[in-house]
Amino acid sequence: MDFELNKKQKDIQKAAREFAQGELKDIARDCDLNETFPPELIRKAGELGFLGAFIPEQYGGAGLGFLEHAIILEEFWKVDPGLGQQLCSTTFGSEEFILFGTEEQKQKYLPPLASGEAMMGFAITEPDAGSDTSSASTSAQETEHGYIMNGSKTMIGNGTVGRYLVVFALSDPDNESRAQRHSIFVVETDTPGYEATRLHGKMGLRASDTASIFFSGLKLPKEALIGTRGKGFYQLMQFFDRSRAYVAAHGVGLAQGAMDLAIKHVKGRVQFGRKIASFQATQFKIAEMATRIELARTLTHKACSLLDKGKSDSKVTSMAKMNAARTAVEVVDEALQLHGGYGYFNDQDVERFYRAAKVLELYEGAKEIEKIIIGRHVLGRY
Amino acid sequence: MGDILVFVEHRSVSLREVSLQIISKADELATKLAGRLTAVVLAAKADFLPSDFSSRADRLIVVEDERFSDFDFTAAAEVISKIIKEQSPHLVMMGHTPWGMDLGPALSVRTGLPLSTDCVDITLDGTRVKTVRQLYGGKLFARVSFRDDSKGCIITVRPGSFPVAASCGRKGELVRIENAANLPASSSRFIEYLDTGAGEIDITQAELLVSIGRGVGEKERIEEIRELAGLLGGVVSCSRPVVDRGWLPKYHQVGTSGKSVKPKVYLALGISGAFQHVAGIAGAGTVIAVNKDKKAPIFRVADYGVVEDLFAFSDALKEELGK
Amino acid sequence: MDIIVCVKRVPFTQEVDLEIDKSGKSIVTDGLAYVINDWDGYAVEEAILLKERIGGNVIAVTVGSEDDEEVLRRALAMGADRAIRIDTCGRSLDGLVVAKAVAAAIKGFPLDLVLTGVQADDDNQAVVGIMLAEIMGLSHAAVVRGIEPEEGSLKVRVELEGGIDEIRQVKLPALLTIQSGINEPRYVSVMGIRKAAKKELKVIGIDELGLSEADLALATEIEEVYLPPETGGAEMLSGDPSKLARAVIEIMRRKGVAV
Repeated sequence: MDFELNKKQKDIQKAAREFAQGELKDIARDCDLNETFPPELIRKAGELGFLGAFIPEQYGGAGLGFLEHAIILEEFWKVDPGLGQQLCSTTFGSEEFILFGTEEQKQKYLPPLASGEAMMGFAITEPDAGSDTSSASTSAQETEHGYIMNGSKTMIGNGTVGRYLVVFALSDPDNESRAQRHSIFVVETDTPGYEATRLHGKMGLRASDTASIFFSGLKLPKEALIGTRGKGFYQLMQFFDRSRAYVAAHGVGLAQGAMDLAIKHVKGRVQFGRKIASFQATQFKIAEMATRIELARTLTHKACSLLDKGKSDSKVTSMAKMNAARTAVEVVDEALQLHGGYGYFNDQDVERFYRAAKVLELYEGAKEIEKIIIGRHVLGRY
Repeated sequence: MGDILVFVEHRSVSLREVSLQIISKADELATKLAGRLTAVVLAAKADFLPSDFSSRADRLIVVEDERFSDFDFTAAAEVISKIIKEQSPHLVMMGHTPWGMDLGPALSVRTGLPLSTDCVDITLDGTRVKTVRQLYGGKLFARVSFRDDSKGCIITVRPGSFPVAASCGRKGELVRIENAANLPASSSRFIEYLDTGAGEIDITQAELLVSIGRGVGEKERIEEIRELAGLLGGVVSCSRPVVDRGWLPKYHQVGTSGKSVKPKVYLALGISGAFQHVAGIAGAGTVIAVNKDKKAPIFRVADYGVVEDLFAFSDALKEELGK
Repeated sequence: MDIIVCVKRVPFTQEVDLEIDKSGKSIVTDGLAYVINDWDGYAVEEAILLKERIGGNVIAVTVGSEDDEEVLRRALAMGADRAIRIDTCGRSLDGLVVAKAVAAAIKGFPLDLVLTGVQADDDNQAVVGIMLAEIMGLSHAAVVRGIEPEEGSLKVRVELEGGIDEIRQVKLPALLTIQSGINEPRYVSVMGIRKAAKKELKVIGIDELGLSEADLALATEIEEVYLPPETGGAEMLSGDPSKLARAVIEIMRRKGVAV
C-alpha cells in the first residue's frame, strides 16, 4: 500500500498545475460569463497530453491510467471547474472505444481526441430518461445497410461542438430484459439527420458546452455499432464505473480550489482588528474542510488505482464519486461563508465555484443512484 | 587600510548616474574609515567627466584606450583586478548594473575577495563592512557580513540606493595609466546599442500615463485600457511582465530595464510594484495605484491607492468620463 | 552544439506572506510550494530552442537534495538529454562554492555553451553564472535577452538599462546568464515526462568532486533577515467604483492633467 504519488505522477500533477495556472486562470471568469471556451485551448491541452490520459499510446494517447487522468483533472478543476469540465468532456465516452471498439474504430476515433483535434461526447440522457437510463427511447432500427436513428437526447456535453458522439440507443425494444434492449453507436455529427441546439442558462460550468440533440432518420452504417448489440446497458455501466472515478476528481479539485480561495481571503481580511484567519472559528472550519478534501482525494485515488490494476469496483467508485461531490458542495459552501458578502459577487472566484459544485451531485449518476449501487453491494441479497 | 575603490561606468560618452550615487556613498564610508577613495575610469577619452568630478575622489585613475569606448569585459577585468592586487583596497564598489553583474563576480573569482551583490545599504561595524540586500524579490531584507574580509571585499550596489552628494571636497589627484598595449585579446566584441525604446509613442514625454501590469491578465483586454487612455488623453505604458508576455512592445515599458518616466500623473493599474518598476517612476508627479491586492508593494510608493479590480475601476472611470 | 544549462529549485513566494524562522536568518519553508527558478526556465527553453535549431546535446545541472531533482526532471521533460545533480552532502553552500562544484562536475565535458538564469528568485544574488564562467575560463555575458548563433561565436543581445540593449559578439565556448522574456518557455508535456523517465539522471556528491575544505568555505554570512520596513504609504481611497472614479478624476485635474 502506497499513499504517495510516484515521481512521474507528481511531475504530471505539476505540469497540469502550470498549464492550468497559465492557460485557464486568466480567462475563467470571462468564459463563465459568456458561456464559451477558446477552441485552441483544447488543442493546446491535447498537444501536451492532458486530454484523456488513459487513451493507449498506440492510439495517440499518453497511455497512462485513470489515476493520472484524475490527477490532471483535479488540477484543472482546482483552477476553474467550467474549463476543467470542458477539458474533461472532450474524451468523455472514449472508454467505449477502448473497452469494446473494433481496431478500426479505435484507430479512427481515438487519435483525434488525444491530440485535441476532435471533441466527443456521450449521449445518454433523454428528456424522459435520466437516472432511469434503461428507459431511453432514442431508437436505432436495423436496416439492410445499418441502422436508422430517431429520437432526442438532452444535456449532452459537446453536442454542438463534438465531431462525434457515442449514443446510447434502443436497438432491441422487444427483448424481454430491459437491460438487453440497448446498444451503443458512434454518430458523426456531420451526418444528415443530426441536429443540436446549445443549452443556455446553466447555473454553473457555463464555459462548457451542453446541448440538446435531435436524430431524425439519421442513417448509420453497420460499423457504427460499438461492442455487442443488445449489451449497451452493460457497456454503459462499465463506462460509469470508470467515469465516476475521475468525476470524483472533479469534486476534489473544486473543493481544494474553493478552500485555497478561502485561505487566501482569511489571511488577508482583517475584522475586529485581527486577520480572520486568527479566529478559532475560522481555523476549525479550515481544518474540517482540509480533512474532508484529504479523505475525498484518498478515496478517489483508491478508486482510480483499482481501475488501473484492472480491478473495477462499482462500490468503491460510487463511494468516491458520491463522497467527492458532497465534499465539494459542502466545502464550497463554507468557503463562500468565509468570504462573507464578497463571496456573493461574481468578481470573486468562489462565487463561480459555488455555482459549479451542485452539478456534481446530479450528473454522472445522481447521488441517489450511487447510494443504490453502494447499498446493493453492501447489503447483498436480503 | 580603509581604502575604497570605485569602478565608474559611462555609456555613450556620458557618466552614469549610478556611479555618482556610489561614489557619494563611498565618500561617506571613506571618511569614517579614514581611508583613501580611488575612482577608476576606463574610457577611450575621459573628457566627459564633469569638472567637479575629481573633487569626489582622492585619486582618479584614468585608463584611456579605444577598447574602453564601450564596455570591454576582458580588458576591464584585467585592468581592475591588477589595480586591486596592487592597491589592496578595503572595499571595491560598483553598480549592480548589467556590466557590474558581469564584472563583480569575475573580479571576486580573480582576486579571491568575497562578494556581496545588489546591496541597497552598506554599514560599518568598526572597520568591518556589512551590507543590506534583498531576498525573494524584496519580500525580505538580509544583513550580510563577510566571513573573511581581511584582504578586502567587493560590493555591487543597486542603482538608486544612495543620493548623489553635492560635492565631496577631495583632492582628486589624477593618475593616468598607459598599459593598454598589454591587454589580452577580448573574448567579446561590442557591436552596437539598440534603442528598444524607440517606438511610435514616447512614454517619457507623456503628461498622463495609464500603466498596466500583470493584473491585466490577457492581451485581448489591453484594448479596453487603450480606450480608457484615449478618453483620459493619456498614453499607455506598462511594467515588465506585460512586455515579457509579448502583450505590448518594449517601448511601452517603465522601469530600470525600460524607461524612466516623469508624467504629472501616473495611473498604475494592476501593477504590483517591483523595485525595478518603481525605480522608473521616481520622477512622476503623482502616482495613483489601483490593485486588487491591498498588500501590493505599489501602495507603499503611491500617493493614492485604490483597492479594486482594475477593469471594474476602468469601466467606472469610462462611465464617469462619458457623463 | 553542446550546451549545459544550470537550474535551481526555489520556493514559490508570489502572493505568499513570508515568515522568518527561529534562527532569524532564513524563512519558514514548511508549506511552501517549490518551482523551477523563473530565469532558469527561460535558460532551459533557450538551450532547447538552440538544440532544435542547430542540433546538439543539452545537459541540465543542479546542486541540491533529492527533492531538487524535480527541476532536472522538468528540464529533461522539456527536452534536455541528460541531467546531473550535485548532492550537497549536507553542506551549506554559497554562490562561489556552487560555481566551483558545477565546474568540477562538468570538467572535461565537450562544451560550447553554458546557460544559467540571471539570478535566482530566492537569494537574488546573480553570481553563480559569471563565477562559473571565470573558473572555467569561458567568455561570458550577463543579462542576455537574445542569442543568434554564428560561426565560432554568438551574437547576443545584452539588456542594459533605460530601454537600451547592447549587441555584442561573444566567442565560444561561452557562458550567458539569461534574462526573463527572452523566449516563451514551453509547458511540460505528459509525453515529455514519460520520455524523461528514461533519460539519465546522474548524482554526484559534492564531497566526491575533489574540492578542498578551503574551496568549500563560505565567503559571506547572513546575520539576520527582516521584513521590509513600512514606509509612508498611499492615501487609500474608498467607496464604490463610480465614487472612486470621480475621486481619481478630481485628483488628475488638481495635478494639472486636462481630463
